[in-house]
Amino acid sequence: MRLVRYSYPSFRSLTPMLGSFQRSPWSGLESEIDRLFSTALTDFGGANPNRFPVDLYEDANNTYVRAELPGVSREDINVEMTDGYLTLTAARKTVGADGKPQEAFSFSRAVSIADEVQTDKVTATYENGVLTVTLPKREEAKPKKISVAVK
Amino acid sequence: MSLFNTLIPSQASQPATTGQDRPADLAYTVKPVFEIKETPDAFGATVYLPGVAKEGLEITAEEGQVRIVGRRAWKQPEGWTALHRESADAPFELVLTHENAIDVDKIAAELRDGVLRVSLPKHEALKPRKIAVS
Repeated sequence: MRLVRYSYPSFRSLTPMLGSFQRSPWSGLESEIDRLFSTALTDFGGANPNRFPVDLYEDANNTYVRAELPGVSREDINVEMTDGYLTLTAARKTVGADGKPQEAFSFSRAVSIADEVQTDKVTATYENGVLTVTLPKREEAKPKKISVAVK
Repeated sequence: MSLFNTLIPSQASQPATTGQDRPADLAYTVKPVFEIKETPDAFGATVYLPGVAKEGLEITAEEGQVRIVGRRAWKQPEGWTALHRESADAPFELVLTHENAIDVDKIAAELRDGVLRVSLPKHEALKPRKIAVS
């Protein structure tokens, strides 16, 4: 089990866009420094193509895990639930011009899930390159309204 | 400062907040992960756009530029609380600059499972030609 911190491809691109025509005079230096840091910090969560971002959401009845896994076929996605950890494993195979598999990557992420989930009712969907895992909560963990009569 | 700028126009720096001409939803964009491969006939770009459907994709070819904008199809539904976020909601934007060596009319693109494959065929006139020496 590894604790993996993901960082999005480029944080620099999240800053307000300088139009592509009006480049800042420092943009060359900035991108060079970014490149330096991202290569030096790869092991500490810099941009790494073999990691994928995972989001966790919650509503009253379910917990949701959304993972961005573009270009993976459904057969190559494996979702497992063991010991309170949800493990997502995926493999991407690219096919070359001659029809032979060219490259193959596999990704794996483990997410710690609270105990309140019904492990036998987990469902997953894959759409537009995003995997959504729905983990229904146990009945007793759902928020309940208890009305108390005031006398 | 204005005198300096008129003397050396190339040093005139623009204010950092440009892009008033851009649509409001493209104020913050994420550059997607992409690969570019070259064959003798064409360039092939593979752009990873997770969460982008066909409807949200926009490819425009301008003079010397190919711009790919992908807006995410999914929005956080009402009642969902984010416990942990690693991805962004911002649209993807990728601008590829080329030296007019691409035949803009023959650009073909295919989006499948969040992966966009664009083929950018090279211009006929710019392909290497063998010249026979007599």
